[in-house]
Formats: sequence, C-alpha cells, structure tokens
Amino acid sequence: MTGPMAPLPKGAASAVIADVERQLRELWVEPDNAGDAPRSRVCTMNLVVMTSSHELAEKYVPVVDEVTRSIPSRAIVVELLPDSKESALTADVSAVCSLEGGKDVCSERIRLAAHGVICDRVGSAVEALLVPELPTALVWLGRVHVEDPIFVNLASEAQRLVLDTEYTSVQSLMQVARWAREEPGRPFVADLAWTRLAPWQEMCARFFDEPRLREHAMHVTSIAIHQASEAGARLGSEGALLLGWFATRLGWKAVHVAGSLRFMRPDGGTVHVELATVSRPPGVAPLALARVAVTAEFGGVVARGTLERELASGLSIAPPPMGEPLPQAPVITVTKRDSEHRTSEPPSQGNLRRATTIDADMLVWRLDVDMPTATEQRVRLGANRGARLLERTLHRPPNDPTLNESVAFAEQLLEDGLVCK
Amino acid sequence: MTTPNPSKNPLRSGLIEDRTGDACAVVIFGASGDLTRRKLMPALYNLAVGRALPGGFAVVGVARREKSHDAFRSEMKDGVGQFSRRKPIDPAVWGDFERGISYVRGSFEDPQTYADLKGHLDQLDVERGTRGNRLFYLAVPPSEFDTIAGGLREAKLVRAKEADGAWTRVVFEKPFGEDLASCRALNETIASVFDESQVYRIDHYLGKETVQNLLVFRFANSLFEPIWNRQHVDHVQITVAEDIGIEGRGKFYEQTGVTRDVVQNHLMQLLSLVAMEPPISLAADAVRDEKVKVLRSLRPMERSQVPMNVIRGQYGRGFVRAEELPGYREEPDVAPDSKVETYVAMRMHVDNWRWSGVPFFVRAGKRMARRVTEIAVQFNKVPHTLFRAPDGGITPNVLALRIQPDEGIQLRFTSKEPGQQTILRDVAMDFRYGTSFGSNTPEAYERLLLDAMRGEATLFTRRDEVEQQWQYIDRVFDAWKHEASAPPPTYASGSWGPDQADDLIARDGRRWRKP
Repeated sequence: MTGPMAPLPKGAASAVIADVERQLRELWVEPDNAGDAPRSRVCTMNLVVMTSSHELAEKYVPVVDEVTRSIPSRAIVVELLPDSKESALTADVSAVCSLEGGKDVCSERIRLAAHGVICDRVGSAVEALLVPELPTALVWLGRVHVEDPIFVNLASEAQRLVLDTEYTSVQSLMQVARWAREEPGRPFVADLAWTRLAPWQEMCARFFDEPRLREHAMHVTSIAIHQASEAGARLGSEGALLLGWFATRLGWKAVHVAGSLRFMRPDGGTVHVELATVSRPPGVAPLALARVAVTAEFGGVVARGTLERELASGLSIAPPPMGEPLPQAPVITVTKRDSEHRTSEPPSQGNLRRATTIDADMLVWRLDVDMPTATEQRVRLGANRGARLLERTLHRPPNDPTLNESVAFAEQLLEDGLVCK
Repeated sequence: MTTPNPSKNPLRSGLIEDRTGDACAVVIFGASGDLTRRKLMPALYNLAVGRALPGGFAVVGVARREKSHDAFRSEMKDGVGQFSRRKPIDPAVWGDFERGISYVRGSFEDPQTYADLKGHLDQLDVERGTRGNRLFYLAVPPSEFDTIAGGLREAKLVRAKEADGAWTRVVFEKPFGEDLASCRALNETIASVFDESQVYRIDHYLGKETVQNLLVFRFANSLFEPIWNRQHVDHVQITVAEDIGIEGRGKFYEQTGVTRDVVQNHLMQLLSLVAMEPPISLAADAVRDEKVKVLRSLRPMERSQVPMNVIRGQYGRGFVRAEELPGYREEPDVAPDSKVETYVAMRMHVDNWRWSGVPFFVRAGKRMARRVTEIAVQFNKVPHTLFRAPDGGITPNVLALRIQPDEGIQLRFTSKEPGQQTILRDVAMDFRYGTSFGSNTPEAYERLLLDAMRGEATLFTRRDEVEQQWQYIDRVFDAWKHEASAPPPTYASGSWGPDQADDLIARDGRRWRKP
C-alpha cells in the first residue's frame, strides 16, 4: 500500500457493468450488411481468469482466446491491482471467433481491470457477468491466500478452481485444497503443474504394466529426479509433486538419514533418492522436470526404467511460403461492436506462422529388464503450451483425490527445503 | 493414501489419463489394401501422437505382394500423410512409430506364411517388448477368414484365453455373412479357432462419438428417459442417407444392396441403442445383453406383411448438388436389368413394454438429397389446442440426434412470435458437437483399435447380436425372393426416395422428415 486510495464515485462500477452488458447484447445483433458472414455465439462454460498484473493479463489473453476455440465460453480476464492509488474499474468486450464448417463460431471475452479499493468488489462485478446455469472455472494466476476476501468471493462462485504452482507454491495449493474440502459446494481444485505431469505419470506407470513386473512396483530400490536448474536450486514443484505421487501410490514414508532423504517402503525396504540438476537451455521453464529414473528388484530380476526429456527439442515446422495456406493454424478473429462501428482484427501473418510451431519436447521412455535389448519409446510431451495445458486441465474430471494426496506429501518434502545437487 | 495392490499396477491407481493399450503386436492381414492405408495406420499413428500406444508395440503387415519393410513403411507414411487428422506428420513421433512397422510377405494359403509370421512375432517379443500379445486384424474379404483362421491355428499362433498372461484377439469387419446361414457359418469358422471373448466384430458406427453419446444422452440426463416410451413418443425415424452413388463398386453392390450394406448392421445397431433398456453397467456384456433383447423384441414379418412394411427403390438419373448423375443401371459393372435395391424404407415394431404400439420408421439410401445420418424421436401432439394454430395444428416436438455430418442434438418446439397476436412458430434448440467441443475428435477406428488393445468389447458386436439382426432381415429377403420379379421402383437421384416410401409412412398418418 503506497498511500490513501481514492474511492470510486457511487454508481460508477454498476455503470461499467451495464455498459459491458450493453456491448454484449450489441455483439449479437444481426449483421448490418446482408453480405456479412453469419456468426454463432456458443457458450459451454464461464471461464474467469484472475491475474495480478497488466502484463500477465496481456500474456494470458491469447491463451484464453485459443482455449475458447475448443471450449466455447464467456471468458472474463480480470487484472487485479489492489495497490493502485487510483480507484477505477474499466472493461472491454470482444467476440472471439473461429471458422468452423463455414460459420464463425464465437465466444465472448470480457476484460476487466480493477484498480484500488474497487478490487474488493470485483467478485460482485464478475458474478453479475456470469452466464447463469453454466459451470464456472476460475483460473487464479498469482499468489493466493485463502483468507483473501477477493479470492473467497470469486472461488465460491466457481465449480472448478485452477492454480499453477509455477506462479504460486505447493504450500498455497495445499492450503487451497484444504479450504475447498472444508465445506461442501466449494470448487474442485486443479493445478496446471499437475496437468504438466500427466504424461510423466503415464509413462512412469508403464514401467510396471507388464504382469511379471507388478511386484517390482512394490520393490523400488532407488529413484532419481533431475530438474533443469543450477546446482543447489530448491526442488521445483514438478519434481516434488512427482515424488509425492510415487510415494502415495506405492505407500512410501519419508525418512531422513544423516541429512539425506530416503523413503521407507511398506515392506521395510529403503528407497534411495537422488535429486540432481541438468543445465537449462533457453526456453525451458526454470525447475522443469528433466529426467526420472527408477530401479526395482524382485525375485532376482532388476528392472530399470528411465524417462528423459530432450530439453528444448520442441519441433519447429518450417512455415510454407508466403501466400500458401497454413496447416491447422488457429485462425481467430476478434470483433468488437460499439454504437458506431464494428471492427475485425484478423491475426497477423507473423502470429499465424508462429502458431505452426509445435513446442513440446520429446520424452524418451526406456525399460531395461533382462532382455538383450531394452524397450524404448519416444513420445511428445503434449501439454506444454499454455492454451493446450489449460484446455487439458479443463477437460479432466474435476475431482482428483490423487492430486490432494500427492500435494500433501510434496508439501512435507518441501518443508524440509530439499535442494538438487 | 491408497493401499497398493500388486495384482494391479499400483501406479495406475487414480491415474486420470489412463487410456493406454496393452503391449502387443497388431498383425494386419490384407496390409496392401485401402483400409490399412486410409484408416488403420492413420488411426494407429494418431494414437501414437496422443501417447496412447504402449511402450511395447509393433505393427506387422501381412499380404501377398513382395515388399521390403522399408517399402511398406514408406507406403504407410504416405497413407498417414494423406488421411491422418493430425497433420502434418510429426517426424519425431513418426520415426519412433515407424521402427515398430514391419512386413511379412506370403500367401494366406501357404503354411510357410504363418511359420514366418510366428518367427517374426517371437522376435518382436524380444526386440520390441510385445509380450506375446497378438491382435490379428482381418482386413480381407470374409471368404479368406477360414483360411487365415486355420493357418493361425495350425501355426499355434492362437493362444487359449489369457494363457500365460498373454492374449490373442481377432478383429474383423462387416459383412458378417450375407444372410443368417452364411453368418452362422462364418461365426462357426471363427469359433473353431477363437473363443467368443477373443472376437471383436467392428461396426465402425459404434466408434463414433455421437453414437457413444446416445448412451450418455439417454442415461445421464433425467429429463428425457421418463418420456422415452410409448406414453410420450409417437414414432421414431432413423435415416442413413448418402448423397453419393456406388462410386465404382458395381460388382460389390450387385451382390449386396443397401439392406445388407447398411440396414442389417449400422441401422439396426442404432435402433437397438435408441430402444434398449438401461444396462446394469457399462460392461461389454451388460450393454450387449440389452441390445440383444431389443433385437429379439422386433416383431417378425410374415412373408405377406413385407410389401406393406418394406419399400425398395433404385436410383435413376437426377441431380445432386446441381450435378446431373446417371442412374444405378447405367453405372459400370451393374446389370442393365438389375433388381438390386439402393434404397430401403421399413416400418418396424419393438414388441416390448416400453415401445408397444410405437412404430420405428427406418430408411437408408444412396444418391439421396443429402448425406445425413440421424435418429429423430417425434413426441405426441398436445392433447388440446389452446392456440390458433397454423394449418395442420401445432407441430409435435422432435428430438433429432444427428450422427453425421454436423454431429449434434436438436430439439424442436413451438414458440410465440413477438407481437400483439399469438402467432406460433417452430424453433429449434441446437447443440453441435463441433462448435461446443471442437472438431478434432478421435476417429472411430482410433477408439475401436484402442479398445481392442485394452480388451474392452462394449463397442463391438457380439455373435448373438449379429445373428439376431440377420434373422430379422432374412425374412425380408425371403419375401423378396417370392415376389413377382418386378424391378424396385425408381427414384430420382437427389430425391428422398420413391413415392411408395412416402405412402408407407403416410398410411400411418405420418411423414418422413427432410433432415
């Protein structure tokens, strides 16, 4: 807080909301010109995205636009700047359309910017703008406190709450998960970092799919987690959550022996833990998971499974020459309508060309048992881009008890301040 | 915390994105054919892109032509490039997928082919980790099934059910015979080698998202199921219409006709899904038991009743999408006096508690006005007209479930036009899959191949279903055999079928939809 805040004049906030409602109505009046393409408004949910800065909101608007192509929604992107001296609420309304079967299929995107004391009332503003009878997902990007009335107001309206431990922390996620469980009717909690882990979990589970290796799952002797960071960095949320997932699935308990972490298996055996780092190439998120190696021994047979991300191997497909059509480019147009005019903003060619880049890295899965050759498989991590990640998160079943269990375990690990060598 | 259970993989407990096939080798007989290039290989590649293929995986093509592994891979890459929904090909994913593709040349009659195949599969178990699991896909005409099944058995390539933890499954597609007798013979051939639990009969309609959604729509919404019966439903129409003709398949069509090609399988499957009772679970046999009950409840037609309940047609010249097109008898490889039906309309009755007295009007045809597959449930008229209604009274509500194209659900109801007067107008609430969920949904073959790899048989037809379908349709064929040898009535290409089909439904005081 930097000084006294100026109050918003009475009625000013409701006037902004009324103007948003008017603009929304005007978006869907019949086209002025008979030649204009017909547009269909489609809405399957309310998608509220809460950001703590203008920059983050700017960064997230294209993500939201892309997500609404596959999950048509009324998207409300909110910038929440409570420390601002000025008190103001501003809004901007657009139709975000993509061509499906010769028709423009459109979602609505509302941007709200709340400055100063009006932030306390932003929950009420958002509630007034939700489409009734449809589920609401709240994406909270930034630090979260369960005592924060703004958070409580907004989260109480939602059926699903999406956090990202990249922006917040595993501890915050744990607090929110606890808050959500306290009373029935509170939203189910999801984490974008947890969604990023889904391919890792799936591929790790494959180590023990073979019937003769099922028992090996209960006899893991060591696990190594490598993350992309400098040596000595704290264990990131992806690594911690993955360890939490392994431990809760396999019944491990954490023990500390001579300052190093180990896990105790249900049969009393010990699981050695190695936390290490690899160098982080440009473009790879800090503390991103880079490698997992699991060794298990049962009945005299040793099984070694490794999963290695080829960091920054994301593929760029060379764009076709100018003038030629682009494959599967997300052609999104943004349309605004006010009392005077209608404008369309087709995306720039440059943006479209960038959209042809597949930016997910390859993951190499390898299982070495007692055969002359190890089984190897290479898959592409599918959910690294912001839009795909959010889309996949929203498509998952809302209730995920495994997340809660893994988060509780990971929090315990992080409290110990684990670092990677 | 979950209690680990080593009889199952404990890391799969609570895993949300758990749709991976078992490690296996998929062996495609007839690998040089169009089905492999256009459908099967693109579907498998799409599964690889979606990380749904297991670590231990291989595809083996078997066909007569001499071909190297590399030549086969190259052909398959070309097919995937053209027909996959995931374009362009991702070189890194393709590179990994391609390493698992191989080819075995041989005649299906030659025991050496199976010996070579066995040796190759044993080697793949070691090199690719396919664990002795085999999914045999018979992409060949049914006349080859006997030979291939025998060859597999003699070479000991078929293991008993889940022997040593390894499994063997066989997948094949329609036609499942050409009548009840040939269907039973085919099933006997298959049963002599495979247990029914190892048999996966594909009706690719069941792999379509919208067909699967039928169960969700009916049994996950409390609004419709209470009125899904004779008290509220006037009649049901099922339409499978294509705007194309026989597309150069004259020889095939002359032996088949639309009744064998579409009605006996796809259309009767749709009917059974619409009319079935809620299953006790989604387990394969629970769902298939209920479908079979519907098929058993179909009122059999006596020979004399067929002309009153079944109308055939054959397309003549006409216009489709403003193009003038020839009639069926002018098509290549079609007899100039052919009596083969390219259109059929039927009135069917499901004689059970729920549907007694509710007619099911079904029709299927080539070269019709539009390509559309839909199920339309027409509800009863209101019992008393309060409002000044347009000519013909207030239109009944219709719920239309659109299977293709523009998959979705539409509910038609009556509304008041704005103004001082009470003027009624039909309006529609329209839900479209493509616009609500995006259009990049998995193709039917992706779902079905993955289900077969996972041993989930719900979306495959069981022997008794297929035989029950033929039993019903055979009576129609029997009546046609004994009819005077007049050709089926002609309908203009681009129309909705012959006038006699309109008469069939008009006799009941109803009329066909023009979807």
